[in-house]
Amino acid sequence: MTAVICTKSLSRWYGNVLGLNDVSLDIEPGITGLLGPNGAGKSTFMKLVSGQMKPSSGRTSVFGERVWNNPPIFRRLGFCPEQDAFHEGVTGWEFVKGLLELQGFSSREAADRAVRALEFVEMISDKDRRIRSYSRGMRQRVKIAQSLAHDPDLLILDEPLNGLDPLGKRKIIRLIKDFPKAGRTVLVSSHVLPEIEAMTSRIVLIHQGRILAEGDIHYIRDLIEAHPHVISVECSDPRRLAGILVREEDIARLQFGADGRTVVFETHARDKVFSRLPRLFVENGIAVESITSPDDNLQSVFDYLVGK
Amino acid sequence: MIRTFRSVFGFYLMLAVRAPRARAFALLTFLPAVLAVVFRLSFPARSVEVLGVFSDILVVFYLQFLLIILALFYGTSVCSEEIEGKTLAYLTTRPLSKSGIILGKTAAYALLSAAIVLISLAVSFFVMNAGRLSAGEAAGTYLRYGGVLLLGIAAYTAFFTFLGVLLRKAVIIGLAFGFGWESILQYFPGSTQRFSIAHYLKSLLPFTPKAQGFSLLTFRLEPTSDAMSLVALVLITGVFLALACLVFRFKEYISEE
Repeated sequence: MTAVICTKSLSRWYGNVLGLNDVSLDIEPGITGLLGPNGAGKSTFMKLVSGQMKPSSGRTSVFGERVWNNPPIFRRLGFCPEQDAFHEGVTGWEFVKGLLELQGFSSREAADRAVRALEFVEMISDKDRRIRSYSRGMRQRVKIAQSLAHDPDLLILDEPLNGLDPLGKRKIIRLIKDFPKAGRTVLVSSHVLPEIEAMTSRIVLIHQGRILAEGDIHYIRDLIEAHPHVISVECSDPRRLAGILVREEDIARLQFGADGRTVVFETHARDKVFSRLPRLFVENGIAVESITSPDDNLQSVFDYLVGK
Repeated sequence: MIRTFRSVFGFYLMLAVRAPRARAFALLTFLPAVLAVVFRLSFPARSVEVLGVFSDILVVFYLQFLLIILALFYGTSVCSEEIEGKTLAYLTTRPLSKSGIILGKTAAYALLSAAIVLISLAVSFFVMNAGRLSAGEAAGTYLRYGGVLLLGIAAYTAFFTFLGVLLRKAVIIGLAFGFGWESILQYFPGSTQRFSIAHYLKSLLPFTPKAQGFSLLTFRLEPTSDAMSLVALVLITGVFLALACLVFRFKEYISEE
């Protein structure tokens, strides 16, 4: 398959700060998830491939052409920015229609396309309300509508699930999964693994401006599961819980928390243990107050992958 | 570029008309019109000279305050409002020429400024001159004042658009330029006053015989010819718009976010 986005030794500095470091990547049609903690360089990468920034060194091409200062290429590209930013004084429909006119459509066609895009993101019943009166989820869906209303071949979505409630996330995940029909390409970023996992199995891991790994979700999962995961359970009888846990397989180191009410343990099989814990609690009558996972974030996984 | 200009002009004219800022500027701009009505109603039998002096004050208010305020806030916002509002990505990821974006947006804002100023000027001018000038004289003089204000809006908006595209804190520099440089330099003797936009605008104003006494508009003015003033104002507008387009084409704004 031919790569839609192609970067070669791409780097970008902000003054003395390195935003992206020597990234060479080919992205093919379908959905590709860009996964990394905040500040990893995801937005920088997306701004470079969407022509909003010039590379400091290296090169980037989309559909085989340079992107910076090349307006015709934006007929084939849709971009949804991370920021919750709008021209607030207009309605959702006027906003999408106005941007479609900027895209080059006649007023009538822009009006029709705006309606179709708002239908697609399930915002048609609120299309005539001012954007400033929308909820966060509605604003996010309007942002997505403007990015796909002109039927782009490449859709770039920067953290489209940020700040949404679970229902809103599910809706947007479904929209994104429905989009890449007929060979179209979606590049979507997030700092939450399960969110990316829900959209695609093709993942690029980015951290501190570098690509750490790329490939199928199972490969990434294997990398992550090789990393011991810490789980902390606060309950009324930590000693009894510890006694039960030590008999379980997949539990590595176990210790008591400083407060005397918490059991902290490590596992290499995070998902398996999480699915088994509720049954253990119920069968043994343990009253659990909280379950937390102190390192349930990508940062610890990335620290592990880079060998910290 | 023409397609970009037209679509950007239409979109931003709609946004500008609806913005609360437009209502605030319209209220401010209609202040002299209200003052003119109050003045005429309060002193209906005032002498021609008093009316002339008051007219002069109004023109100074339009020329050296309103024009600069409108051009400054609209011109500098052409670029800065997109950066501060984080909406620039909606423009720069469309198939739009960057020059077309600047020209279309600047034209939309200049047109709105011109409409506000010309309507207000029409009210205040005809109220002040009712019974003083014949209909033909009044229309001719109004057109001349209106033309000068239009040229002023174009030149100042172009200059402030350039400042806004180039600098992050353009409003502060613009205020210093509009109310410092422009206010002071136009009263300098000799050719120094030609380094201000206000000099060319004042050179094009119609001066009535009563202005041979003291007038804020003619004080220390060593007028440039009409033709030269016109050329200077068109050049200032063209050069600063071209520079604004050039800077916007090559400068990266996204990193400023």
